Amino acid sequence: MLASVASMALIALLVYKVFDQAGESISHFGLGFVGSSVWNPVTRRFGAASFIYGTAVSSLIALLIAGPMSVAIALFLTELAPMRVRRPVATLVELLAAIPSVVLGLWGIIVMAPFLNGTLEPALRSALGWIPLFSGSASPFGLLPAILVLTIMTVPIVAAVTREVFQTVPTELKESALALGSTRWEMVRMVILPYAKSGIVGASILGLGRALGEAIAVTQVIGDETGIHASLFAPADTLASRVASTYQGATSTLEISSLAYLSAILLVFALIANAIARLIVRRTTVRMRPAGPGPGPGPAVTVAEGKA
Amino acid sequence: MIKNKMGALAACAVLACGIAACGSSNSSTSSGTGSADTLVGAGSTLVAPLVSEWQPEYDKKTKVAVTYGAIGSGGGIAQITARTVDFGASDAPLSEDQFKEAKGVVQIPWALAATVVAYHLEGAPNQLKLTGPLLAEIYEGKVTSWNAPAIAALNPGAHLPATKITPIHRSDGSGDTFAFTNYLSHISSAWSSKIGHATEVTFPVGIGAKGNSGVGGAISSTNGAIGYIAIAYVLENKFDYALVKNAAGNYPVPGIPSISAAAKTLTSVPANNEVSIVDPPASAPDAYPISTFTYALVPEKSPKASTLKPFLKWAITEGQTFGPKLDFAPLPAQVVSADEATIEKIGS
Repeated sequence: MLASVASMALIALLVYKVFDQAGESISHFGLGFVGSSVWNPVTRRFGAASFIYGTAVSSLIALLIAGPMSVAIALFLTELAPMRVRRPVATLVELLAAIPSVVLGLWGIIVMAPFLNGTLEPALRSALGWIPLFSGSASPFGLLPAILVLTIMTVPIVAAVTREVFQTVPTELKESALALGSTRWEMVRMVILPYAKSGIVGASILGLGRALGEAIAVTQVIGDETGIHASLFAPADTLASRVASTYQGATSTLEISSLAYLSAILLVFALIANAIARLIVRRTTVRMRPAGPGPGPGPAVTVAEGKA
Repeated sequence: MIKNKMGALAACAVLACGIAACGSSNSSTSSGTGSADTLVGAGSTLVAPLVSEWQPEYDKKTKVAVTYGAIGSGGGIAQITARTVDFGASDAPLSEDQFKEAKGVVQIPWALAATVVAYHLEGAPNQLKLTGPLLAEIYEGKVTSWNAPAIAALNPGAHLPATKITPIHRSDGSGDTFAFTNYLSHISSAWSSKIGHATEVTFPVGIGAKGNSGVGGAISSTNGAIGYIAIAYVLENKFDYALVKNAAGNYPVPGIPSISAAAKTLTSVPANNEVSIVDPPASAPDAYPISTFTYALVPEKSPKASTLKPFLKWAITEGQTFGPKLDFAPLPAQVVSADEATIEKIGS
């Protein structure tokens, strides 16, 4: 009980301190801060809009890529892979999560940036340049490398949790679908995915939380520019990355306070993402609750092997 | 089961005692050597290599241990304002507002270095010639290609591929940003009014990287990149660097001789010790245009005054002898005497 009280007190203290330090900026700029995309330490005018855009775009697109990829990995590991392959591949995927963010950022600068600048971005522009997202000139740093880095960081988490959830799908449900004549893919589509829907959403939100808060790897590859651009190639910045890169060197108390304001906005973001997740999980769980045992960890019934 | 638990608890207790004993014996030996005084400083990364040289030398001489955290000029200003350190270090002089917020801090120029423009352009030679206004246009996004007529005119005969120029700047607060933007503000009124100069500015185009190493990494991985880095970093990593035209029309190679030539143009030191030698006048034909002093920030009234003053005096005199191998030029004489006068005023 002491531990839970301590953690609640810690969260309350943290939130209080962030909003307290943001006080000077909040009183100076008010809510217009959220709408302004200017960040100029020389004229002392600050605004969060470009970073909110950067955070939203990078996290959501990373999740959009990481989500299906993680579901595919989890399906492979639970359904398709031969037993001997499952353990090493699962370990390798989880090892991705163990890579320190700084190392990933360094890899991004040394390996990914030249590749993007020289090969991938020009290719995307010539193939899909009519979409505003892929217009604009190629750049080694920008939203696209940040999205790729965030995807790499999100996949292991979402894949690991999704795999756990898939393993709780009762085998007799899967076997009855197969016995009724469905193909393996139909079984996946009609049994596993609906059963695990709330779990997949939960895993995705975990991944989203990681993506929202990632500062170091992102700040090394995102190019640190203010302003909102349609192109993914253009350098940008996110809330967490801006706070991480400029907090130490902030030249005025107003700037420090504005950085705290950015942190407060990020906290609100995380809260909203969490609330939406709970909402989705609750609704999909209610809808999907079968007559028997509901979705949850651990198989409810042991399986009689094959022979009926 | 219980025996195992008791055994584990006993082991933990022994371990904790052991660690505590080690900890206390460490502190007793350190005070035993007589280094009763320590100085804690933080700030500029530009001066950090020089301070690293000073630390063991000064400890050997006076048994005073100096610790220094290279957290950036902005961090140094913040820490000395909060008085969490004994001295701060900043490449940018304090502004009016920062002086007010710091409440009784003096700045003492204690090292002299330069910011160099490095670039990475496959197929092009080293030491391409550029001018200040051209650099301003590159960083404003007006000149976008390496084979632009303006660059070709300055470098006749050099092979300039049609690569896009990617200007790189520091994303964190940096004294090199201050020196570079200070220089650009001097030679371009458009830059001065639109962007200004500070340790952190909003660059109109280009991409930002964190720290000297981030800029270095970005330059080496991007063909066509150009960026400004501290001189020691450029020479150590053997980047290609540009020769910048000075007011006299020459293209001095950045190094101790050209930095010292720029420092010689200093006529007087103002009362607040803010010395700027970017864009030195044409009377100095060999002066490197982007040289910069870096400052120690010290409270006028400090409880550590008796330890601080000898250290500062040593730094601006004997300490300067360790500078040249790290590409720091020795302080000119009038700066040293102005510094000594300021140091005298520090009291407790």
